[in-house]
Parts: sequence; C-alpha cells; structure tokens
Amino acid sequence: MIRKTKNPSNFFELSTFRRRLVLLVLLSLFATLISRSFYLQGMQTDFLQKKGRATSNRIEELHAYRGKVIDRHGEILAISSPVQTIWVNPPEVEMNELQKKKLAKLLELRVEHLEQRLNKKDKQYVYLKRRASPELATRVLQLKIPGIRTEKNYDRFYPERETTAHLVGFTNIDGIGQEGVELYANNLLSGVPGYKKVLKDNLGRIVDDLQDIQIPIDGQDVQLSIDKRLQYTSYQALKKAVEKHGATSGSAVLLDAKTGEVLSMTNYPSYNPNNKSKPTSRIRNRVVTDIFEPGSTIKPITISAALESKQIKPQSIIDTEHGMYRLGGSRFTVKDTKDHGIISVSEVIQKSSNVGTTLICEKLDSKYLWSTINLFGLGVKTGVGFPGETSGKVHHFKHWRKTEHATISYGYGLSTNLLQLAQAYTVFANEGELKAAKLLKNSEPVIGRKVLSNQTSRQMLEILESVVSTDGTAPQAKVSGYRVAGKTGTAHKIINGAYENKYIGSFVGIAPVSNPRFVLAVMIDEPTIDGYYGGVVAGPVFSSIMSDALKIYSVPQDAIEKKDNTIVADSKNDKVI
Amino acid sequence: MRLNLILFSMLIIFALTLVNAEHQYRNNYSQLDRENKLTFELRDEQTKLQIEESEKSGNDRINEIATKKLGMYAPKKLDKKILK
Repeated sequence: MIRKTKNPSNFFELSTFRRRLVLLVLLSLFATLISRSFYLQGMQTDFLQKKGRATSNRIEELHAYRGKVIDRHGEILAISSPVQTIWVNPPEVEMNELQKKKLAKLLELRVEHLEQRLNKKDKQYVYLKRRASPELATRVLQLKIPGIRTEKNYDRFYPERETTAHLVGFTNIDGIGQEGVELYANNLLSGVPGYKKVLKDNLGRIVDDLQDIQIPIDGQDVQLSIDKRLQYTSYQALKKAVEKHGATSGSAVLLDAKTGEVLSMTNYPSYNPNNKSKPTSRIRNRVVTDIFEPGSTIKPITISAALESKQIKPQSIIDTEHGMYRLGGSRFTVKDTKDHGIISVSEVIQKSSNVGTTLICEKLDSKYLWSTINLFGLGVKTGVGFPGETSGKVHHFKHWRKTEHATISYGYGLSTNLLQLAQAYTVFANEGELKAAKLLKNSEPVIGRKVLSNQTSRQMLEILESVVSTDGTAPQAKVSGYRVAGKTGTAHKIINGAYENKYIGSFVGIAPVSNPRFVLAVMIDEPTIDGYYGGVVAGPVFSSIMSDALKIYSVPQDAIEKKDNTIVADSKNDKVI
Repeated sequence: MRLNLILFSMLIIFALTLVNAEHQYRNNYSQLDRENKLTFELRDEQTKLQIEESEKSGNDRINEIATKKLGMYAPKKLDKKILK
C-alpha cells in the first residue's frame, strides 16, 4: 500500500513489503535463468555442442587431381575432367508427374526405373546418374525438385581413344588404374586428398578454419616415351593390314634404336577407353602380354652366335640338302619351303633357310646357344614393368635334345613377346649393344649391355639388309630413300598342343642402316586373305610405319634412288614444295 | 573516477575493434575461400580447353582435313622432279 507523501523525496519510496516482493520476483527470475543456464551449459553441453557443430562446422574434402599421362612431346594421352554425379535423397523428394517425366528424359531413364530409385525411402543417398556432364547437371537442378542434388567428381578422358587404349589403359569409376599405364603408374598418378575443418555462417559461407588444413597432394604427371604421331600412324597401318588380310589381330612396337625408348606400341583391334563397357577380349596389350614362337625372326640371333664363335663367316658355304635335312639319330626332318641348293651364310638368312640355320647352329654348344639367346633378352622380362608382361620361355639347355637344339635355332620350341623381339634387334642397331626397352621418357644417356662384337653386329646388319632386297623374303618392307635391314618370320601356331595351318606373320627391322635410328617389330596374327608370309603381311606395315617415322623425325636419307634429289618438286606446276 | 571512465571507454573501443577485426577476418577468409573455389573452377576450365585443343589437333581430324578438304597427298614417284 502506498503511503501518501507530501515530501517529493519520498515519492519513489516503496513499502518494505513491496520492495521485498519485487526483490523476490527478480531473484526468482535470476535463479530460473541461472538454473536454466546451468542445465544447458552443464548438463546438456555435449548434445548442444554437437548440434552447434553440425550446423556450423564442416569437414570439407580437398580434391587431389590425378596426374596426366602425356606423350614425349607433352601431348595429352589421359586427363581427369570434371563430371557431375546426380543423386537423390528419396525421403525429401516431392515432384509432380510432369517433373518426373522431364527428369526421366534428362537422365535417359525409363519412368519406372526412376520411380524404383525414388521409392527407396529407407536410403538417403541414391545415385541417379554418374559421370554426367556439368550441362546436364545444371538442367536437372533447374527442375528445382527438392531432394535432388549434384556433386562434382572427376573422370578420366582419353583423347586418343583406340589408338592408345592398350598402352594407356583406363581407370575404374573410382579413378583407380585398372589397365595399362593407368595401373602401372597408379601410385604416381594418384594424389592424396586433403581435408579442412571449417566454420560456416548462416549463409553457408566458409568464414574460418577450425583446424590446420591438410593440404591435398596432386598426383604427378607421367611422361611416356611414346610419340602420339607415331602411335597414330602405327595404328592406321596395322588396321589396314589386319582388315586387308582378314587377320585376327595385329601388333607393332617401334623403339628408338639408340635409347630403347618405346616410341609406339599398338594393337588392332582396339577399344575406346572412354566407353563404360569395354570388350574384355580386346583389352590386353598383345605386344607385351602375348607370347608366340618367333619363327625365322630369331635366325639373326642364332646365326650371329655362330658368327661370334668364329666357326663360320658370312661367306661360308652351306649345302641345304635340297630343302630336307634329317637330324642324325632322330626321325625329325627339318624342311625348307623350297630347295635353296648351296648357299652362303648370308643367303641362309636372306632366303630364310631352316635347313641352313640348323646346319650352322648344329655345330654350336647348346649352352653357348642358350646363353646367347638369353643375352639377347629372350626368356626374361624386358623390365618396362607393364602390367601383364610375359617373359616368354626358353627352356634350359640341359633339357634340350637334338631336336630342340635344331628347332630353337630357327625359332620353334621357344616363345617370346613382340617387345622382347624388338629389344633383341637393338643389338644389331648399336654395334652389338642391347638397349633395354623403356616406356618412360628418358633424358639421361643410356648404357647398353654388350652382347656381340662390333664386327659380328655389322656383319649381321649387312646380311639383314639383303633380306629386303628383291632376292630376299621381304622386298615389300623397303622404304623409299632409306636403307633397311630386317628379318621376316612366318610361324605355325600351336592350338591345343598341336601345330595347325594357322600362322603368325612377322617382320622385325632396322632403319636407316647407315646410322640406325629406329627398330620396328610387326606381327600379324592368323592372316587368311592374300598370303600369310611375314614378308607379305607384316613387311608392308613395316614399310608404312617406318617411312612415316623417318619422315616425321626428318632422318636424312641414306639411299639415293634413281631420279631422286635433295629437293622435291611438284611436277604438275613446277613449284617447290 | 575519471581514470575509470577513460579505461571503460578504452575497453569499449578495444572490444568494438576486436569485433570488427574478427568480422573483417571472416569476410576476408570467406573471400579467400571463394577465390580458391574460382581457382579450381578455372583449373577445370583449363582442363576442358586442353581436351578441346587435343580434340582439334587430333591426328584423325588433321588427316581428314588434309586429305578431303585440302586435297593433300604424299608425293608419288611421278610427282617428284629433280631441280638442278
């Protein structure tokens, strides 16, 4: 009750009761606040902090780029490009029939299939489309359907498609290498993603770091020794030959004779690595995975072993026994395609006489022949480290009988892959030094392994040059303006343990002879139309690829053709081109 | 009393400065984050351009333009002439 006062100073004075009442109310209010505060901050701390963090704190992944695969000139062979993953949180979805139809059309899905995904109400993350283009993702988002979201990912793209497919390989949907260089150099190419814990404001902007950022480490680029232009030209030449001869497949590998670097490695038929589905029968890189009996392409190796041992000379005379030679103490007969009569060692290679080779190598010790073959790198992996690389097989000399000794000398009873064969021929291109094949670009000088003496190597190169002459087995392997050396091979295929009338035609050659720059090995598997001999099916492929390679690298010509000169002019209008 | 007032004013000023600095920091950080995102976007754009460049300079395309559009071909023996 307010007491009436006459004095103005007593105007605001309250009765003791009211004062206490107000104080009590205020104190009780404070007590409520304090107890609430204690409850929230003391007893609900964990729960509330968790909630708070959930709305403002985020852990963001920082993308690490996968390295590029590039050729020796820096041209792209594989690169990661941004794509979008379109996904849905089914419980949040609300859309009308029209939106559903539009969405299904954009995603190229049937409406029923789309509905199946949208009906997975127990899940919160369902893929609608992976590897979608950013443009498609934008169009989907423009439909403004609640619950549909996009996420940026990276997908591998291979600009050279079929041409480099076997070599570069491909990755799976998670970006992990599955084949080829993508698998071989996966650790190098893969990066390590980073993380950062950040604070977001109510607008979703990142305003602060809450922890030290774990910086992403991008994958490294891998530079191959491959030349994109040579890869293309090889692929085109192979394709033409395989189609022309109705063959099952074809392979070619081109090496830099001085360094052993692989300049092109191609197979046909191939596949497009950008397509999701890949034909399993076509994905292996036959150049390194498939082994075959080399046939006559091994003769230069076995005969150079004989030349090196000084038991024969290139001019030594061999009687080829009318093309039929029965091994002493055996029922096995070595045959030639025709009677070559009495010929020199050089002609044994030029005419590719099995009988002549057998007679030459018969004199050699098995251990010596075996070790020479091994020194040429046959029977052991090349060391390029390519996934699925085979080592081939050369049986130990202790297991050789007379028949094996004879057959191995002309290329049967042992197996090799095409890369090993090309690598072996670097010996003849480098004065007897073998240059190990390499797939990565090399800037350091290459140290080779001495296999033959300079003299034997030169002699063999001269002999091999005669193979490409009109009298040899591969005149079609000639390259206009250049001296070429090489050897053909036509080997029967073994199917289910028996030789059948199916062949592998091959040619391994070197050019230019005066200063070898390239070694090229070509193999055509099971040619059925227009011949099957190595000189006929693989020779022209060799000529085409080698001719392009020599032109592309501006290698000076070392053979003067008739009517040829240093300047080439167009005869039609007499203009210098 | 006066000293207290001065200290109190200073406290208020410093407190406001601190709040402002924090605000500026967050703004700047947010901008940095946007710039970083832009860097990634530009990198993606660069990738797209590299792919496009690779497509345009592809051997298949060059071969087709050279042979079909420009009528180019490798000179044959008869096309060659010796200039003395």
